[in-house]
Amino acid sequence: MTISPSTLVPGIIAASDAATVTMAEPVARFSLRAHAAERETVGGALGLDLPTQVGHVAGDEIEALCLGPDEWLIVAPEGLAERIARTEIDAAHSLTEITDRELTFRIDGPRATELLTTGWPRDPDSIAPGQGRRTYFDGASVIVWRDGPEEWRMDVWRSFAPHVVSLLATGCAELVAG
Amino acid sequence: MSPFRVPGRGRIDPDRPVAFTFDGKRVEGYAGDTVASALLAQGRHLMGRSFKYHRPRGPVTAGSEEPNALIGTRRGPGRFEPNTRATMQEIWPGLAAESQNRFPDLRFDIGAVNDAAHKVLSAGFYYKTFMWPRGFWDKVYEPVIRAAAGLGKAPSERDPDRYAARYLHTDVLVVGGGPAGLAAARVAAEAGQRVTLVDEHAEIGGTLLSEPQARIDGQAAWDWLAAERDALAGLGVRIMTRTTAIGYYHQNMVGLCERLTDHLETLPEDMPRERLWRVRAARVILAQGALEKPLVFHGNDRPGVMLAGSAQTYLNRFGVRVGDRAAVVTSHDSAYHAAFDLHDAGSAISAIVDVRTAPEADLLAEAERRGIAVLAGHSVTGTAGRLRIASVEVAATGGTGPARKIACDALLISGGWTPSLHLFSHTKGSLAWDAERQTFLPDRITEACHIAGAGRGFWGIGAALRDGAAMGAAAVAALGGEAGARDFEVAADRAGSGESRTELPRGRAAGKSRAFVDFQNDVTAKDLRLAVKEGMRSIEHVKRYTTNGMATDQGKMSNINGLNITAEALGRAAPEVGLTTFRPPYTPTTFGAFAGYHRGDHFEVTRKTPIDGWAEENGAVFEPVGQWRRARYFPQGDEDMDAAVSRECRATRASLGIFDASTLGKIEIVGPDAAEFMNRMYTNPWTKLAPGRARYGLLLGDDGFIRDDGVIGRLADDRFHVTTTTGGAARVLNMMEDYLQTEWPDLKVWLTSTTEQWAVIAVNGPNARKLIAPFVEGADLTPEALPHMSVVACRFDGLPCRLFRLSFTGELGFEINVPARHGRAVWEKLMAAGADYDITPYGTETMHVLRAEKGFIIVGQDTDGTVTPYDAGMGWAVGKNKADFVGMRALMRPDLIAAERKHLVGLLTEDGTTKLEEGAQIVLDPDQPRPMTMLGHVTSSYRSDAMGRPIALAVVMGGRDRMGEIVHIPMEGGSVSATITAPSFYDPENERLKL
Repeated sequence: MTISPSTLVPGIIAASDAATVTMAEPVARFSLRAHAAERETVGGALGLDLPTQVGHVAGDEIEALCLGPDEWLIVAPEGLAERIARTEIDAAHSLTEITDRELTFRIDGPRATELLTTGWPRDPDSIAPGQGRRTYFDGASVIVWRDGPEEWRMDVWRSFAPHVVSLLATGCAELVAG
Repeated sequence: MSPFRVPGRGRIDPDRPVAFTFDGKRVEGYAGDTVASALLAQGRHLMGRSFKYHRPRGPVTAGSEEPNALIGTRRGPGRFEPNTRATMQEIWPGLAAESQNRFPDLRFDIGAVNDAAHKVLSAGFYYKTFMWPRGFWDKVYEPVIRAAAGLGKAPSERDPDRYAARYLHTDVLVVGGGPAGLAAARVAAEAGQRVTLVDEHAEIGGTLLSEPQARIDGQAAWDWLAAERDALAGLGVRIMTRTTAIGYYHQNMVGLCERLTDHLETLPEDMPRERLWRVRAARVILAQGALEKPLVFHGNDRPGVMLAGSAQTYLNRFGVRVGDRAAVVTSHDSAYHAAFDLHDAGSAISAIVDVRTAPEADLLAEAERRGIAVLAGHSVTGTAGRLRIASVEVAATGGTGPARKIACDALLISGGWTPSLHLFSHTKGSLAWDAERQTFLPDRITEACHIAGAGRGFWGIGAALRDGAAMGAAAVAALGGEAGARDFEVAADRAGSGESRTELPRGRAAGKSRAFVDFQNDVTAKDLRLAVKEGMRSIEHVKRYTTNGMATDQGKMSNINGLNITAEALGRAAPEVGLTTFRPPYTPTTFGAFAGYHRGDHFEVTRKTPIDGWAEENGAVFEPVGQWRRARYFPQGDEDMDAAVSRECRATRASLGIFDASTLGKIEIVGPDAAEFMNRMYTNPWTKLAPGRARYGLLLGDDGFIRDDGVIGRLADDRFHVTTTTGGAARVLNMMEDYLQTEWPDLKVWLTSTTEQWAVIAVNGPNARKLIAPFVEGADLTPEALPHMSVVACRFDGLPCRLFRLSFTGELGFEINVPARHGRAVWEKLMAAGADYDITPYGTETMHVLRAEKGFIIVGQDTDGTVTPYDAGMGWAVGKNKADFVGMRALMRPDLIAAERKHLVGLLTEDGTTKLEEGAQIVLDPDQPRPMTMLGHVTSSYRSDAMGRPIALAVVMGGRDRMGEIVHIPMEGGSVSATITAPSFYDPENERLKL
C-alpha cells in the first residue's frame, strides 16, 4: 500500500479487524539532555522526576521517556510548548524543540502487537505497558510507546512516515487475509 | 482409483479428488498428494531430464532433498516457478505442472545427445576444452554454453505475487516436527517456555507419517501424533508447517521461509505468497532427522530407482505403491521394512540384494516368511530400461559367477542414513567422524543450540523421542527452568543398522561405469576419481572441479558418497579428507521471500520534504539526493533542462528565486560548552561569533580532508544552529557524537537532529527582502540590523521562525525556517506575494549553477575526500590561532601542504562555447605519448546564463600557480583547450550582496 505525505493528516490511516493505525493530533515534543549531576535540578524545574532507567516514563500531563543515560523525550499538549521552552533551568542542560520533527501514530486493535512484528526487530514482550523505546521499524529510527497490551504509539520522523505507515497499512490487510 | 493406489492407505483424502495437468495432460490425484505422489499413483516415474546429460529421471526421494524431479509450476499469467520439487509441491485443482530440461518432450529429448557424448563431457570438461582459441570464448563457446546451461526456464514476467516478512522472538525454536522435535517442544512448552515448532512439510509428524505401524505409549503412531498436536496447541506452541528453516545466522537468528499459497486453489486477497521470518530464539533445537543415502552403482539413476525409505513414505503417507515388482539393494536394515510394507500392500518383491554378507537373522526370517529371496553378499552391477527400469543385474561380491538379471519395475536402494546437519553447519559448529555409525555427527557447538534425535545418530522412533525430550529439558535448563527426562514406550520400532559403502563392486571396467553420485549435477564416481587423478587433493577442489554437491540440493544426497569415494581414491580416511561447507539457504528460496515488502513503491525509503507535494503538482523534475528526492528543475511548456535552468538562473539574478532547502541537515548544538565543542569540530573559530551572527563552517576528518560544510548560526551563547549538506546530515551527527562520547565526555554539550523540525525556504535575488518584509514580525531586516551572515528568531506570518540572511547564490538571500508542518503553506503564500516580482521556483540544478558561478564548492562534487581546505582555496576558513580542531595535525603533514597538490580552480574553454564533461581529465600537452600525465579533472561544469558562456570548476595540480595557463582536456572527437582562472566567475567582489 502506498501512502503519500499529503494523505498524512490526523485520523484513521488504515484499519482492519486486526488493528487500526491512526495518525494522532500534534503534540509538543522536546529533546532534553542533562548529565546525572544536573538531572534532579533540570527535572525539578520542569516539574518532572526524570526516570533513570532507559525505557521508563514519568510524568502526567508532561511525559518524560528516558531514552539514554542523559537523554529524555518530553511530550506535552501542544499548548504547553512555549511554557516548556521558556522554563528557567539553573543547571547545564539542553532543551531543544522537536515538535514537528516527528509524526505520531497510534496502533491498536486485537493484533496490534503482531502488526508491529512486520518491521520491528525487537521482542514486544520485552516492553511492559507504560514503557517506551527508541528503536527501528523497517529501517527507520522510531520511538515506540506501549500504552497497553495491544495499544501502541509510534513517533516517526516526518519524511520516513509514509514508508513506515505504508507497511503498517499493508500489514493491517495482510493480518486478516485468508 | 489407479492400480498403484492402495485403498485405505495413506493420509490423502480419497473423498476429495484433485485434477491438475502435467505437460498438458490431465492427472487426477487426491487432496494431500504431491505432484510426485500423484504421478507415481499413475505408475509414472519419468518426471524430468538431468541437467548435463539429459538422462531420463524420476523421483528418488519423497522430500525437499529431491535432486531429480524438478518441474515448472504455473498458476495463470505471470505466476511461473521453475525448479519446483515435485516431491514437495502439493497438488490443487488447476495446477499446471511441466517437466523441464527437455526438447521437444520428456520422452524424446534432443539434448540427450550429450549422454552419448559422456566420455567427452567428463569432469573439468569446460576448463580443458574451451581454453583455445581465446577469441572463441566470447563469440562461440560462451553463448552456446549459456544457451544449453541452466536448470529450467527463468520466469520472464513480473511477479504479481506479494511477499511478506515478520520478526519473531521465541524462547525455544524447534526445527523439525518429527518424533524428536515433537518431544522437545512438549517438554519445553510444559516448562512454560514460548515454543515455536517448524516443519517444511504440509503437516508435522516427520517419520511418524511414514511409519504408522509404530505404537507409542500404547497408541497407534497416528493417533499419538494427533493427540500430541492438540496438546502442543493447547500449551500455546506456535506450530508452523510448510515452513523451512533456511539459514542459521549469528546469535540464534534463524531464517524461516513460510509458503502460504502455493498449495491453494484460490488466492485469498491480500495474502502473501511467502513470508520470511527472522526468528530470534533463546535456544534452538535442531531435530531435522536424517537423510537416506543412495548406493552408487552403474545405472543407479534410471526412473524407478528410488530410496527405500521414500518408497515407504509413498506407500504409507500417500497410499501409493511405487511399482508392481520391486527389487531392493541395500547396505542397511531399513530397506527390508520398505520391502515388507510393499509386499504386504500387494507388490511383488523380486529380490532383496544385500551387499552385506550376514544380514540380521530376524530380517531374514521375515523375508522368508513372505517368500522374498535375499541375496546376501551380492552387488548390483547394472540396470536396464530406457525410460523406466526393467531389470537389475546382480552378481555375488568377489565371486566369479555370471551376473543374474532380475526383472523389476522399481529398484529400492538404501546406503544408510546421514544426519541432516546443514543448519548446524551454518553455525560453524564442527562435526566429528563417528566410526561406528560411519557418519559425521555434531561435535563442538558454537551457538545456543541442541541437536536432537537422528541428527546426532539416534535411529528409531523411541530413541528419537527420548533424545528429543532430553534436549527439550536441556534447553529449559539452559533458560533457567526445570524439566525432567521423559520415557516413551515404543512398539514396532524399526531402528536398524547398516554399513557405509563407496561405489559398489563393478561388473565392468571402472572407466565404463556410470555410477551417479550427484544426480542433479550428473557427477559420477568416475568423475571424482578423475579429479583425484588430475591432482585435486582437497575435497573443496574436488567439489569445484566436478561440481559434486554444487547443485540446488547442495549435496544433500551426494556429499557423503562423494567424500567416501574421494577419500578412497586418495587412499586416506574420510575424516582426514573432511567435508565441504553447507551454506544457507537449506533449500532453494525465492528472491521474493528475501525481498519481502521491499519492492515497488516500498523498495527503499524515499524521503520527501513538506514542500515536495507542491513541486510535484507544479511539474518538477526530481532527482535523488541521498535518501531524499529533490526538485531538480521546474520545466515550463516544452523546456528541456538547459532551458529551464537558464530561465530559473536568470530570474533569480534579475529579481527573485525561491528554493526548497528543507533537506539541508540541521543539528542543534546546545550547552555551556557549545562554543568549545564547535571550536574542536570545525576549522573555524567560534568563540567570538556573537549571538545573532552566522558563519560558514568547514568540517574535516582527522585526515585533514574536507568532510562537510554549512552555514552555522549562533542563536545564543550556548546554542548553535548548524546546517550540513543534505547527504551528510546523518554522517556528520554520528561523527560529532562519536567525538563527544569517546573523546570529550566531559563537555557539557548535546546534539539534537532538527533536520525535520524545520521546513526551509530559500529566497534569493535583489527583491528578496521586499518579498519577505511584510511577513516578518519581531526582526529588523535592514542591512545594518541584519547584515549578510546573520540569524534572528522572529515570527514569520505569525509562525515561529529562524530567519537567516546568507547567500549560496551571490544574490541577496534569506533562509526562512518555519516548523515543518507549515512549510507548504508558507511557500504558497510567498509564491502568491512574489507574483509582483516574477518569483521563480528553482531546483537543485539551478542552485548548482548559481553557486558554481560564485565558485562555492559542493562537498562530494568538487571534493572527493582528498581535498584540504587549502586545496579548495579556503585557507581563510581555518582558524590560525586555534589550539586544536579535528584534522589540524594532519594539515601540518608535508604532503598535505606540498605545492604540487591539486587546487580548485576555474576553467574557461578557449572557444567560449564548449561545455566540458564533468570528470574529464586535464593534461598540459594533448600531443604527448600515452599514457598521458594527468594534472587533474573537471569537477563541475555548466552553461552559465550570467556569464554568457560555459564555466567549469576543476582540481589541477599546482593550479593556483598556473593562473592564465592553457590546459587541455582530451575528449573523444578531439582535445578541448581551456584557460585556468580563479574559481569565482560572477561578481567576484560580492557587490550584489551589499543590498
